[in-house]
Amino acid sequence: MVSPLYIIAVGLGAAFLLGLLPEKWQRAAYGVTLLALALMGWIAGSWLWAFALQGAAPVEIFTAGTQPPFAINFRVGLAEASLALLMALTGLHAALYMRDTLFKQGRRAMAVLLIFVMATCGVIFTRDLFNLFVFMELVVISTGGLVLLSADRRALGAGLKYLIVSQLVSILMLVGMVFAYHATGTLNIDGMAAAQADLFKGGALAFFLMLMAVLAELKPFPANGWGLDIYESAHPAFAALFSAATGAATVYAADKLLLIGGAQWLPLASAIGIVTFVVANIFALVQDNDRRLLGYSSIAQVGLILTVIGQRDLLGEQYYFVAGGILLAHAVAKAGLFWLSGLVAARGLGDWAALRGHPVLVFAFVTFIALLVGLPPFPGFYAKWELAHALAANGQLWLLGLILFGALLEAAYLFRWFGYVLKREQPQAGLLLQAIKEDVALSAVVVAWLLAYLWGELSGQGNLLHAIPLLFALLFLPLDWLPAKLKNGLAIAGLVGWFYLHYPSYDALQLIFAAVMLPGGAIILLASFQTQQRRVGFYPAAMLMFAGLAMLIEAKTSFAFFAAWELLTVGSYFLILRGKHSEPHALSYIVFSLGGAFLMLAGFALAAQGVPDFKIAALAQVAEPFAPWVFALLAIGFMTKTAAVGVHIWLPGAHAEAETDVSPLVSGILLKAGLFGLFVLLMTMGKQQLYGVELTHVMLWIGAISALIGNLLAIFQEDAKRLLAYSSIGQMGYALFGLAMMNHLGWLMALMFVINHYIYKSMLFLSVGGVAKRTGTRDMYRMGGLITLMPLSFIATLIGIIAVSGVPPLSGFGGRWIFYNAIMTAEYRLPMVIIFLAGPIAFLYLFRLIHTIFLGQLKDELRTVKEAPFWIVLPQMIFVVALLVFALIPGMALRHVDAYLAPFFGGQNGLDWAGLTITSEFGYWSPVSIMLIIGVIFATLFAWLLFVNRRAQPVKQFNIVFAGERPFRPETTHFAWNFFAPYRKALGFLTQPLVTIFWETLTELLHSAADILRRMYTGNGQTYAIHLLAFVIIVYLLWMGGL
Amino acid sequence: MRIPWALLTLFIVINYGLLMTALVQKIGARVGRRHGIPIWQNYIDMIKNYALRTSITHGVMFYLGPVFRLSGGVGLLLFVPSIYGSEMFANFSFAGDLILALYFVFFGTLGMALGAAESGHPYSAIGITRGLSQMTAAELPFALAVFAVALQYQTLSVTEIVAAQQGGVLHWTLFTNPLAVAAAMMSFLGSMMRPPFDVVLAPQEIPIGPPTEYHSSFLAMMQTNRALFPVAKIVVYMNLFFGGAGSWPEFFLKVFLIYMVSAFVGVVFPRFRVEQSIRWFLIWAVPLGILAVVLV
Repeated sequence: MVSPLYIIAVGLGAAFLLGLLPEKWQRAAYGVTLLALALMGWIAGSWLWAFALQGAAPVEIFTAGTQPPFAINFRVGLAEASLALLMALTGLHAALYMRDTLFKQGRRAMAVLLIFVMATCGVIFTRDLFNLFVFMELVVISTGGLVLLSADRRALGAGLKYLIVSQLVSILMLVGMVFAYHATGTLNIDGMAAAQADLFKGGALAFFLMLMAVLAELKPFPANGWGLDIYESAHPAFAALFSAATGAATVYAADKLLLIGGAQWLPLASAIGIVTFVVANIFALVQDNDRRLLGYSSIAQVGLILTVIGQRDLLGEQYYFVAGGILLAHAVAKAGLFWLSGLVAARGLGDWAALRGHPVLVFAFVTFIALLVGLPPFPGFYAKWELAHALAANGQLWLLGLILFGALLEAAYLFRWFGYVLKREQPQAGLLLQAIKEDVALSAVVVAWLLAYLWGELSGQGNLLHAIPLLFALLFLPLDWLPAKLKNGLAIAGLVGWFYLHYPSYDALQLIFAAVMLPGGAIILLASFQTQQRRVGFYPAAMLMFAGLAMLIEAKTSFAFFAAWELLTVGSYFLILRGKHSEPHALSYIVFSLGGAFLMLAGFALAAQGVPDFKIAALAQVAEPFAPWVFALLAIGFMTKTAAVGVHIWLPGAHAEAETDVSPLVSGILLKAGLFGLFVLLMTMGKQQLYGVELTHVMLWIGAISALIGNLLAIFQEDAKRLLAYSSIGQMGYALFGLAMMNHLGWLMALMFVINHYIYKSMLFLSVGGVAKRTGTRDMYRMGGLITLMPLSFIATLIGIIAVSGVPPLSGFGGRWIFYNAIMTAEYRLPMVIIFLAGPIAFLYLFRLIHTIFLGQLKDELRTVKEAPFWIVLPQMIFVVALLVFALIPGMALRHVDAYLAPFFGGQNGLDWAGLTITSEFGYWSPVSIMLIIGVIFATLFAWLLFVNRRAQPVKQFNIVFAGERPFRPETTHFAWNFFAPYRKALGFLTQPLVTIFWETLTELLHSAADILRRMYTGNGQTYAIHLLAFVIIVYLLWMGGL
Repeated sequence: MRIPWALLTLFIVINYGLLMTALVQKIGARVGRRHGIPIWQNYIDMIKNYALRTSITHGVMFYLGPVFRLSGGVGLLLFVPSIYGSEMFANFSFAGDLILALYFVFFGTLGMALGAAESGHPYSAIGITRGLSQMTAAELPFALAVFAVALQYQTLSVTEIVAAQQGGVLHWTLFTNPLAVAAAMMSFLGSMMRPPFDVVLAPQEIPIGPPTEYHSSFLAMMQTNRALFPVAKIVVYMNLFFGGAGSWPEFFLKVFLIYMVSAFVGVVFPRFRVEQSIRWFLIWAVPLGILAVVLV
């Protein structure tokens, strides 16, 4: 094994060697550079191997052959080796990436690069303060040089500002060091830590100055303008280095320095870190320059790591797992993104749409974003999970809240950017493709997935990359070149197969949800056979969602549950984003969903109280004072998914703008995930009180108001799919209401809604989607009279609306009947008023839907419209049959669940399913008799009419007279637009978009604040110096004043 | 065995309905100092319309509309027991309870609306929007009243609700739960297509509203329903609030009196616009319903 010291030696030696080479030997010089970097990487890698897999002990290296404090010592352990490997690899990649630039600038530039990498490694290895200072100065100087490699003219100014600030930092460091040395008599870090008591007797200020110096290098808010300028103007390969390598090395230096300070200084690190994290993310919201945005994001991430360092004592053994996870995720993702930015010609975020023509690059971009945001299965996900649990278990709730808030902001601007990539106009010649640069960027993707696997293995939670559903979804990535029909077949087979293999192990509740989600999804996917060609990106996204759903149903632990939740959220986001105009709606979906997910994370963390491997069933044992908070957090998280009023504004756009076969997936199936969560929550935690308020009572009101508002807004929509989307809000409101009643029949009703809503909403979305496909519009008033042209779609819609409305004999009535029986034993009666009002309003939008599209007057331009394509009609017909069957024998599905629910209510208030009649404590209902009686009456009367009216003569359109004339223009005759005008006069005031206004104002406030405050970064070096001084003074006043 | 008895019920109720609606119309005419129609006018209209040979159809749904409508009326009548304590006239109430009756009311309405809409006549569509809009508000107090009554008697079975009201006039819901009955009767006004809530049919502006295109035997079928349906609906009210009927004479009397409530109000008040009637229900009727639900 080669001594780690050679990492330093090789870097330094090669740099000197470059100086000796003749100027013309460009290739040789470049070769030496690459070789040196590779060698450094190899040494670091071999030590990493030894530490990680062979359990080698950390190596101490002493210079000059004596012990510290008389000599300098290096220490290399697991953390140091992995960081050094990171340094060498990013350096190597930078060299490869910058080949043209390095050739142009010659061997000097290469030498500076080597010095840079060597110095960062030195910062990581050294245990001596002064030596640390020296290496940091080397980093600064080489940074100054490397910044100048950029073609951007502003780089010169940025480099100079950096040097100004660095001098201030150096002064702080040196002054601090002098006094610290005076107080402790050593410059060795461990020696100083041992002499901590002496140091703080009078030298607290000295330590403070040193800490400030190192922290200032981490670009804390507000002393970070210089860093931003570098990120913006430097060569992307150097920006990658600056973000990944400098950041990581300095963070490690801060970690070492805090060893000296001990526990009492940790809160300061956390405070500075969290402020930086949140503020940088807020500022990033308004950035439209890609590299500056990445700069803000880098600053934020480093702030987060600093926060974690501050919580080192709390995290205990998990410290390196958490900090390392976040750090490596940040480094790899940021390097990858900077490298990608070198491939994009222009600097606007929208210019990244150029990536779209290259699925592999888009995949790389997604990987980096997921890595940064900390989505499963990447390291940040595991790290955030552990961090949240540690914080919650130790009462650091404010910190947890701020971290989650900052993370949400970060996710918002990153996903917004992703939306641009997929949806904005693709610029001509927007890419500067170069094979080596692409390879460098893609290598980061490989590393990202390796890290994902590694962190999965290291976490105590079970590796997500071993989960078969997820692997199945990922399988579709390499298969994406196959024709869509083949992939569709495979996807359907996967869903049905998984269900077939697992259904014996499900209990009744799981079975209902699984049946809706998996074979149910397969039926909807039949419609996808309609699409031609390859449909790139659809199947990985769809299957990711299904993987999440499959894993959610089976989740036993809170971790598995949460991971599944995030997977299905992300998958469905990609699905929704596919719609032609869905960019803003998909963004709003992902932001609300992640917000909800973070609340769930907080809830689970609070519930676990540090218990690893927290079981979902153990939610039942969560005690006061946490229980109500856990309940509230989880409930809000789940209600975000079911689009309860207040957090519903994402739904209409997301569901309406999605593709024809995606709308039923996200409406018919995805919403049920929220209901499943609520079921699980209520079954385990039951009723909870917060400040004397019964939380289920609050949910009851939320459910009722959602039902009302959803229905009310639906009737005023001109867009058929939006109408259906709002109707979903209403329907989910009913289901929520049923659950919140906390009685047996209420839950049964909610389950009835799960099945019913899946069938009829999927059917309606498909039939409306088919119509929209044929007519080229979703505006209902542009349609009309399509009944004769699209009879099958009409039948599906007819059956669908009868079922939704709850009119006997179809299955919707069963839901209403159970509802009335459930409210008989409900504790609260007032919310019923709202629900009763909401009920009949459904008739309004349902009638409008079928009338305006299929009845009334046919438009001239639609006279040649054909029936919807076969594959879109087929699932509708399956749903029609399913509805009829479920209407006749609801007991087939429900009686088992009924029995399953009984123990939760002491076996009380169940239904009696004997024979054909379903009997409750209060009433009875016989689906088969109802169907039969109605059928016979209807058939008899129909026969009678046929008899007396057998010569009725069919007439053509316009064979009517009104207002004294015979109409001839369908546009003026089809009464369709603003259909319920009188209703708007009466109750229109209830449709004021208060919730939308609230969220828009909040977003606007954040953006405006960011836009105003970011102006303090004037670009002036003096201002930046003042920022730094102000930072030091303010921290001094706040921290030392209170110490 | 139930079927012949059900048919008998149907026969009685249709004839009673034809005569009673004519009678009420005659009373209305007399209030306006006109002579009014002969009492058998409805028979003449119906027979004439069923016998008309010319007829046109606008399509399948148009054709089925009246079938839906009349099925709705017949079904509603037969799902509710007509005469309390009579096995013969309990009809098909074994198939479902009160909730079935409540929701089946919409079957005919919805079907007819669909049929009328296929005619492509704007008046039909306008009438339907008015009708549906008004219904959302008018149904609310009734739903609350039903909830109150069901809570009061702790059952959803119509027969049991009637049974609970036996033993004297003072046992009727009218006296045991007057708030619920008041709310329900206000709702009743809104569902009877009489002034002030007849904007749906509005003979002057949108000649007879939704059924405007229906004629000949289509119309005859709807006229049959027009005689049958109000009676069927009143039977529900009678059973829930007015002690039900133990015999046919009692049935005839109670139905007539309940029907007259809407006739009385109708001849006195002018027509509301849709938004006016919605406000009226929400302001006057709904609070009564809420009180009934809370106090029961």
